Amino acid sequence: MIKLNETPVRTARNFNINNIKLDNIEIRRRLKPFQSAEVFLESSKDVALREIYDIVLEYGICDLLTEQASNYELTVNINSKMKNTVMVDFKFDEENDYLVDKIFIDAKPDTKSNVIIKYTSKDDLEYFHNGDIKLRAGENSEVNITFVNLLNTKSNNFIAIENEILDGAKVNSYMIDFGGKYSISNYYSNIIGKNANNNLSTIYLGKENQVFDLNYIAELYGEKSSVNFEVQGALKDSSKKHFKGTIDFKRGAKKAKGNENEACMLLSDKARSLALPMLLCSEEDVEGNHSTSSGKIGDKELFYIMSRGFDEKSAMKLMVRAKFNKILESIKNDELKNEIIYEIDKRLD
Amino acid sequence: MKTNLEEINRNIYDIKNKDDYDFKIKKGLNKEIIEEISKQKNDPDWMKQIRLNALEVYNSLELPTWGPDLSELDMSEIATYVRPKTKLNSSWEDVPEEIKDTFDKLGIPDAEKTSLSGVGAQYDSEVVYHSIKEDLIKQGVIYTDMETAVREYPDMVRKHFMKCVPVNDHKFVALHAAVWSGGSFVYVPKGVKVDIPLQSYFRLNSPESGQFEHTLIIVDEGASLHFIEGCSAPKYNKVNLHAGCVELYVKDNAYLRYSTIENWSKNMLNLNTKKAIVGKNAGMDWVSGSFGSKISMLYPMSILNGEGSKTEFTGISFAGAGQNLDNGFKVIHNAKNTSSVVNAKSISKNGGKCTYRSLVRVAENAQNSKCSVSCESLMLDDISISDTIPTADVRTEEVEFSHEAKIGKISDKAIFYLMSRGLSEADAKAMIVRGFASPVSNALPMEYAVEMNNLINLELEGTIG
Amino acid sequence: MKNTLIEIKDLCVNAEDKEILKGINLKINKGEIHVIMGPNGSGKSTTANAILNHPAYKKVAGEILFEGENINDLKTDEIARKGIFMSFQLPEEIPGVSVTNFLKYAKNKITGEPVKIFKFKEEVKKYMDELNMNSKNMERSLNVGFSGGEKKKNEILQMLVLNPKLAILDETDSGLDVDAIRTVSKGIEMFKNENNAVLIITHNTKILSSLKVDYVHILVNGKIVKTGNGELAKEIEENGYSKYKN
Repeated sequence: MIKLNETPVRTARNFNINNIKLDNIEIRRRLKPFQSAEVFLESSKDVALREIYDIVLEYGICDLLTEQASNYELTVNINSKMKNTVMVDFKFDEENDYLVDKIFIDAKPDTKSNVIIKYTSKDDLEYFHNGDIKLRAGENSEVNITFVNLLNTKSNNFIAIENEILDGAKVNSYMIDFGGKYSISNYYSNIIGKNANNNLSTIYLGKENQVFDLNYIAELYGEKSSVNFEVQGALKDSSKKHFKGTIDFKRGAKKAKGNENEACMLLSDKARSLALPMLLCSEEDVEGNHSTSSGKIGDKELFYIMSRGFDEKSAMKLMVRAKFNKILESIKNDELKNEIIYEIDKRLD
Repeated sequence: MKTNLEEINRNIYDIKNKDDYDFKIKKGLNKEIIEEISKQKNDPDWMKQIRLNALEVYNSLELPTWGPDLSELDMSEIATYVRPKTKLNSSWEDVPEEIKDTFDKLGIPDAEKTSLSGVGAQYDSEVVYHSIKEDLIKQGVIYTDMETAVREYPDMVRKHFMKCVPVNDHKFVALHAAVWSGGSFVYVPKGVKVDIPLQSYFRLNSPESGQFEHTLIIVDEGASLHFIEGCSAPKYNKVNLHAGCVELYVKDNAYLRYSTIENWSKNMLNLNTKKAIVGKNAGMDWVSGSFGSKISMLYPMSILNGEGSKTEFTGISFAGAGQNLDNGFKVIHNAKNTSSVVNAKSISKNGGKCTYRSLVRVAENAQNSKCSVSCESLMLDDISISDTIPTADVRTEEVEFSHEAKIGKISDKAIFYLMSRGLSEADAKAMIVRGFASPVSNALPMEYAVEMNNLINLELEGTIG
Repeated sequence: MKNTLIEIKDLCVNAEDKEILKGINLKINKGEIHVIMGPNGSGKSTTANAILNHPAYKKVAGEILFEGENINDLKTDEIARKGIFMSFQLPEEIPGVSVTNFLKYAKNKITGEPVKIFKFKEEVKKYMDELNMNSKNMERSLNVGFSGGEKKKNEILQMLVLNPKLAILDETDSGLDVDAIRTVSKGIEMFKNENNAVLIITHNTKILSSLKVDYVHILVNGKIVKTGNGELAKEIEENGYSKYKN
């Protein structure tokens, strides 16, 4: 049994949210290279790629996972303001069923970039994914980064993401978290810079016996820095979600702002939503807000939509889509957006 | 809210009487000590067995792995039983002068005359005064100290004692069950409405000792009660421990309001446990003002077992220098159509730490339940700490759950606005803080609201402006 | 100079290191109503805030004399106690403090005397009736959940209750409908006498129609570029400020 995704501050043990314990996770030591990965890059003018990685994560999901040897390494150097998107596309198949990827994205000062990192599986075999992704956003850079997990519901998905955000830099992260029997994600944002800004928008969608464990942490050190977590999800069947969101205002983060909003739609009587939205504050001159809610789709809304000729299932889909829309709209890549919409439709069937 | 700005003096809480007792058990915790307490208290055998069993549970449990650091607590340095030099009295005249004087200064006998229908007063480990209005006795209301209840109402006590709060709930509950002494027992019969509150006041005078009072309240079907609990102690250099236990049974269609103004001295570890089991269509409201203690870990809990039951928690914590107040609320929605409303506030200053820690659980069978939580934290300077750690565990789709929290400082604009109306900066801040605390003071009877505002003014004195 | 209430001499004020007021001169005598008009950003509200010594506005030159005394560096509450009142453009919301208690408390601070509850309540009630205010608002938290109009009326109520020597009304008429503006004017009329004075800051002439205005000052880019009588306001209403810019 391993304990994963510890929260930065513990609460009572019998609340069952300080960590998640998993059995039967096979940590392989010797891996063959993962061949089914492609990097799409429209122009190499702005970006330099190297097949190395020498970063250590500060947080991570647990030591066992962060210390696991990798079979895919990549460093992406962003050198200018780019118009196009860098996409790293991992496709699991029978031959490539076990991936430990380590990716470092180094956005130089004053650059602008769009990055997509995507994981898909084409069949229902049991795959294993353990990814470490580190992003450094240099002074006044802007990075839009999208993580897409469309794995099947039999696989195990572990992903640890870390940001280091310097003065005036802005990182917009998007997480599409749909796949995995267990989908354990760790997002740690170290907001050091003055006026540094981080937005994270997540949508998750659970079905069958899926378990999502989301551990999001933002530490604000910089003056006038800000963070915004927006998490929208829906759970059907016996799926479960643990959301742990921590906004930590460190002393000196004057005029910093932190917002956290988490909403979970329960689509079944057996679904379960567990939430721990923490605000930690050691600085007076800050503004921190969080809100969290859960419940089913409103009967009135459902009735209204059905009165317009939708059957219950389509009405439900429409409502879920509506909740996800704001985040979906911010995905600029149409092909990817359509793929996600198709997945939402399929998974809600 | 009454904006009473009279100067009050911390001294009234700090009166240290001589550590003059009839009997003080030797420090520490072991089987012999428990047996001695049991003997001193003339326990019936069943109670002695509960104590001895609880000691074993205590020894088997770990300290909490979360929250404030309790490592300074050394049970071998704490005397768990201190009997004052008096018997239980039903007239203040009979209470020894020095003890009576303390309660006089705390305003207890005065409050009894004007605004209470019954009073209990505990000094160290034993209740020294208990009285209840004649008409309530006629209606069958029982309000007495726990020892008398064990003796005179053994069946009722046995059926409820440590049943709402199980002995193995956590380490300090087990400790409590092993060494408990004093506290109040209330029974309100079916349909009886007690319109004027009852109050028990707990005073710990003896240094390096603990207070472990047990409060057991049963509000029978259709009855109602407002119970007020007050506590204070003078400050000593070494830690004192308070591990009381409050068990509340609110039967079908009954209503109970439980109000607390806690002002323990700032060397106190307040590890108190309070739970209520709420029946069908019954209501349980908690009002809590937490000002004292060095460390407080206090999470009153409502277990909504009856369909249509309701609970509300309205509380404020105010932490100053050297204080770590880890307070909150727990609610279990365990039946259909239940509802809970939480309004929690905290204020941190001078390096004090406030944590709001909570649990909301909506069980599988609690369809059509509602829960709304609102937390607000005020930071008065940049050396203090304010954390919000709420857990929500929702296990059914038929629920409306929402939680909101805010953290921040007093707005400069609001201060300027009030100053433009002639208030000094300190007055402006105090007015904003009292306004911030008003949901709690509004829920208290007037005299207590005034006392709470005085405590706020006292805490703010010299720290802002 | 017995009749001079406030005199502002060569006042220069910066906000966040930006020059806002660049040498203002203004003298208001007892019994007068003055109006400051000007385009957005010209420094109208800064003038009001500087008089009350808002900490975000730094006086870099000049002085403000109130009844002959320099009040440049007095604290806001001391200035208020001298008898200067400002009606805020955006009144602050103070949760948990009822309007009654607030008024009582402020009255006590301003006068330094205990407030006689019954007489006080009667007086407040009378003003509220005149201002068409719902007396239920008295027990509500100060400005919390009040509509824009209710907030502004509440400011006028405070002015009447606190009875200052100089009332500064910062955009009190903005965002109000015709009826509410009429009520505000009525409040000013009730307040006004030969021993006090009013300074109205506005960019709207409607509020002026029923008041006898003594002076109108046009403030552009941190300076008073023209002073005239009530006719000047009418001219502005017709032609705007363009003539006075540059």
